[in-house]
Amino acid sequence: MNENLRKLRWLFVRRRREEELEEELAFHLEEEAEQRGYDAARRDLGNLGLIKEDTRQMWGWTWVEQLMQDWRYSLRTMLKNPVFTAMAVLSLALGIGANTAIFSFMDALMLRWLPVGDPERLVTLNWHASITRMRGSVLYSGSGSMWKDGDGTTSGAFPYPSFDVLRKTDVFSKVFGYFWMRSANFYARGQAEATTGELVTGGYFQGLELVPAAGRFLVDNDDLPGAPPVVVLGFNLAERRFGDAANAVGESVLIDNRPYTVAGVAPRGFSGLEPAQSPDFYIPLHVGQDARSFDSEHYYWLLISARLRDGMTMADAQARVAPVFHRWVESTAVNDQERAHLPELVLTGGGRGLDTLRREYSKPMVVVLAMVGLILAIACANIANLLLARATARRREMAVRLSIGAGRWRVIRQLLTESVMLAAIGGAAGILVAIWGARSLTLLLSSGAGPSTLKPDLNWHVLAGAIALSLVTGLLFGLTPALQATRVEVMPALKEVPANDRSRRVTLSHVLVVGQIALSLLLVLGAGLFVRTLSKLESVQLGFHRENVLLFKLDAAQAGHKAPEIFSFYRNLQTRFGLIPGVQSASVAQTPLVGEGSWFTPVVPAGKQPVPDQVTRLLTVGPDYLKTMKIPLIAGREIDDRDFARSAAVAVVNEKYVKVNFDGRMSLGQRIVINRQPRAPDIEFEIVGVTRDFRYGGLKEDLPAIAFVPFNQIPFGRIGEMTYSLRTAGNPLTAVTAIRQVVRQADARVPVTHIKTQATMVEQTMAQEILFARLCSGFAVLALVIACVGLYGTMSYTVARRAREIGIRMALGSPRGRVVWLVMRQVAMMGAVGLAIGLPVAWATSRLVKSFLYGIEADDPSSIATAIVTMAIAVLVAGYGPARRASRIDPVIALRSE
Amino acid sequence: MNQKLDLLQGTLDLLILRTLLGGTAHGHAIAKYIQRTSKDLLQVETGSLYPALHRLEAKGWIEASWELSDKGKRARYYKLTREGRRQLSSERSKWDAFARAMGLILTASESP
Repeated sequence: MNENLRKLRWLFVRRRREEELEEELAFHLEEEAEQRGYDAARRDLGNLGLIKEDTRQMWGWTWVEQLMQDWRYSLRTMLKNPVFTAMAVLSLALGIGANTAIFSFMDALMLRWLPVGDPERLVTLNWHASITRMRGSVLYSGSGSMWKDGDGTTSGAFPYPSFDVLRKTDVFSKVFGYFWMRSANFYARGQAEATTGELVTGGYFQGLELVPAAGRFLVDNDDLPGAPPVVVLGFNLAERRFGDAANAVGESVLIDNRPYTVAGVAPRGFSGLEPAQSPDFYIPLHVGQDARSFDSEHYYWLLISARLRDGMTMADAQARVAPVFHRWVESTAVNDQERAHLPELVLTGGGRGLDTLRREYSKPMVVVLAMVGLILAIACANIANLLLARATARRREMAVRLSIGAGRWRVIRQLLTESVMLAAIGGAAGILVAIWGARSLTLLLSSGAGPSTLKPDLNWHVLAGAIALSLVTGLLFGLTPALQATRVEVMPALKEVPANDRSRRVTLSHVLVVGQIALSLLLVLGAGLFVRTLSKLESVQLGFHRENVLLFKLDAAQAGHKAPEIFSFYRNLQTRFGLIPGVQSASVAQTPLVGEGSWFTPVVPAGKQPVPDQVTRLLTVGPDYLKTMKIPLIAGREIDDRDFARSAAVAVVNEKYVKVNFDGRMSLGQRIVINRQPRAPDIEFEIVGVTRDFRYGGLKEDLPAIAFVPFNQIPFGRIGEMTYSLRTAGNPLTAVTAIRQVVRQADARVPVTHIKTQATMVEQTMAQEILFARLCSGFAVLALVIACVGLYGTMSYTVARRAREIGIRMALGSPRGRVVWLVMRQVAMMGAVGLAIGLPVAWATSRLVKSFLYGIEADDPSSIATAIVTMAIAVLVAGYGPARRASRIDPVIALRSE
Repeated sequence: MNQKLDLLQGTLDLLILRTLLGGTAHGHAIAKYIQRTSKDLLQVETGSLYPALHRLEAKGWIEASWELSDKGKRARYYKLTREGRRQLSSERSKWDAFARAMGLILTASESP
């Protein structure tokens, strides 16, 4: 029989073999005793337990058995200290889970490659110019995001003529451009839907080296003015509307009321170059965009990516293509001022998509990352402390085990098993926390203005990393005390007399507790700052009533309505919405008041020149807007039905506008001009009303100067999407069905979108602040609890060690109060040192979150004071338990225990 | 008589196998046999004997059964298996070769 098989069999008859060994050795002893007498025989036999142990080792896979023994024993030890174990596991789980969730999110946001062919060779074209505003530069107008960085502006938007120039250079194998469509009405098989689309050049799909899921991709010939309009659908849209990608090919669809033929379907999983956007369809640039956009050398709008030619590095490409762009852009400058600040071409890696999201989220992400990092640090410190305290408390147990013949390595292994098990359980729980965390983080972000298309997968590397970290912590802090404990001098430890009195010395665990207190202070202060920011934001005066208002959007222009018919279309809808039961008042405006930014334009008193940087926010509205939003009127009247019936141009302004432009003097009847030079002629409005100030745009800004005008009196710009607001008697969401019905009756091609209450909309603009306040408060409480548990454990252990000394003191007449003070002095000391270390660190780091605060300074004294008081109370409370226990020590028992 | 030899690593197995060549025996008898036959030069420690017996059993070279001893008490008797015999002869030839080599070197007269 095979040796392993035999051992396996023995494992099952373990108990019988145990008895047999006992009997075998007893027989040996008897035989020997008969010959030489019992004493000599017993002496010869030596350590019976050791012989048994050695023999037993021959029976099986010792390491497996011992491992199982260790596990069983570790489990028992853990269950014996449920509070400590729960605390350790919980803190580890939260530390590991939170880190994994956040990193997974960052991974989805920043590190993942696009699902295209050879993403490493894709580059994105950007420009950088040492300007902070467009005026006076070659950039007369633009569309797309530009961001300020340090000394200038960076953007990925280019004029179309420069695309033609860049395309002819020899460093790229393919250059392609694209442009977002804001939203589009997609109509197929009798059903309308609000979608988003992308305009792309003919080389787009070839440049990305994609393979169509069905049909064909766009080619250069599709991207010509006057070419038959074709569209490539995104996989999801094709599947949703036609059941299957293949079914979609050849279908006729209407996009913004214009007929297209479906040429093909993009592959599953591909959703454009921007992780935050997911276009539902792609149409050729020249088919979808106004012809004017292609000629202007000063209108910056087209986003450009390119694929590097084989063998070309990004640095080479940059060196060769930047001068080409420079020469071209120089030729477009008309004066020296423009020539002084020319945009310069910058290539960046494009394989991970555009970085708009990264810019937007990287800073908040870093803050959240720092928070979870602190949690993990505190959790690890706690594990270390727990293991240290336990190992020291178990010196006697170690001594017993060593003295009855346990090998030193065996004892060390036992201790290590416990550490590793703790880390493993923590890690397993951490996976659950991570899954839950990533999911709720997605929810938290998508409920705000965040990207709803971002779906983080759990990042297993990070998870493994975090678990490894906790394992290393476990091993490191499990090993140190393990080595120490096994070096224990057996005799004094057995007698339970401290070998030398170390109670006054600063031990490693004191240092750890101090560190925990210092780190916790950071989180507690952070929580204070974020919570106060949120409450300041929540108490911001809006200037209008947010309760019981429903907002939703319609875009009749996309369904083919044109001025002037569209004005009456929108007006009629407003009237009919007002008749819905439960609706008190209905109105319409071009944009909602908060949550979507605002329209800036110079609006000045007639005859005055616009002052640079002094802009007014313009809002185009329907009748009864002030009444619906409950914005108080100070003088005159609001825009009403009369203004839509006759042609006299009227405007209503707010107090701030009057203050800025008329020095606060009553301005009814004054004439103001919307200055749109050089693109459109000026138009004069007569001020007919003045309102109190209110918010239009962001919540954190100063109250803006606002002018509003009837939506049919704007002679420039296309009238498109409108936002309706309905003030209701009860829950505004109950009106939704009736609204859809009214719209369907008016025109079934127009979808109702973005249905939200005004209150939700306001809350969503504070999504980041709410997220920070919640996360940081949660983390702060967690940190505080973990640190307090660490402190409690350390002090309990110290008290236990000093029981004898305290007993003597009490026997000599020391009152209980003095004993409490004895312990509390040490607690207060640790707390004070921790806070003293934490305070400057907190003060320095709170500056980093300055940009996330509103209404308070980073070094807000009352927040700092609150944090310190909170910490001090928590520390004293945690320390009082052990102190009280010390004062209850019975001197008789304490002294007798020797 | 007082001079006791420490057993060389691995030689205990060979001694046990050789002892059992003469028939079945229990642990105590094996120890006594080795002591007696080596004229008290070798004394097997109980602490190493039983682990060795159980190790050999696990390897399948010897097998054990409970039998009554001469005095009528239950004892664990060990017996050489066929595989044990094979092992004994191979161990033995290895030992012989080793002993010869040692002898040659220790009695050599020529200088290196």
